[in-house]
Amino acid sequence: MKELFPAKQVGGYIFSLVLTIIALLVYFLDFTFPIAMSILLVTAFVQATVQLVLFMHAGETEDGKAIYTNVLYGIIIAVVTIIGSLLILIWDM
Amino acid sequence: MKIDHTQPLEYGTHQNQLNILGFWIFLGAEIMLFATLFTAYFIMEHRTGNGPTGPEIFEISPVLIETFVLLTSSFTIGLAVHAMRIGRKKAMLAFLGITLLLGLGFLSVEIFEFMHYYHVGATYQTSGFTAALLTTLGTHGAHVTLGLFWGLSIIIQVAKDGINARTANKSFIFSLYWHFLDVVWIFIFSFIYLKGMM
Repeated sequence: MKELFPAKQVGGYIFSLVLTIIALLVYFLDFTFPIAMSILLVTAFVQATVQLVLFMHAGETEDGKAIYTNVLYGIIIAVVTIIGSLLILIWDM
Repeated sequence: MKIDHTQPLEYGTHQNQLNILGFWIFLGAEIMLFATLFTAYFIMEHRTGNGPTGPEIFEISPVLIETFVLLTSSFTIGLAVHAMRIGRKKAMLAFLGITLLLGLGFLSVEIFEFMHYYHVGATYQTSGFTAALLTTLGTHGAHVTLGLFWGLSIIIQVAKDGINARTANKSFIFSLYWHFLDVVWIFIFSFIYLKGMM
């Protein structure tokens, strides 16, 4: 039975739960907006990384580099799309 | 078909390796798809017109259930892939089954949540905010729904054919898809719900 629950996966799961609970603090406590957003950005991206590296085995084979490059490219386009649109349409810059 | 035994079975053939890389490229495109939805949401977030605002309609308990259920299902499908790699077919099928049940649980809560939105007057046509919100949540929910049918067909194939290079490859790719849905949910949870409720 024990061999079905590798420490790496169980650890990743517990770490994700902890990160979710830290993120929840912004709901239960009164942080200022910049601090709350910083907490959310850190917990969300760390948790996404845990999924990518631990659960999705992204870097496991020789294709790891291509996979990470591709994901990074996706993230860059995502950030540019979101921040760029907000700059023009919401923040009026 | 030449199988390379130095690699996990799902990478065993050249075609298998290409399939996995190809699916990662698809996931890259999915990141951009959800980025456009988040863009629309962040722009429309405060354009509520005569309709309700985020803090008025968001409820923490269904969101928490959805978050923990989906996170746990992401964990159990990780265990399914691990069981597959050590050749434990029964355990793999059990973990896949649990994953899909949790997925079904997630979807039920989300449907319940959508009904709640409908009852409080937050429908697709209410405002820019509700349209962007429901499109983003709905796209994620549609992905989960597709995943349930996909996962079911994976279970049937593994149950019938056992763990071989073909079924291992298919199962692994499905696990990538399922993990990705949890990644998207982390961002929905953080930047739609928690940001909206704080």
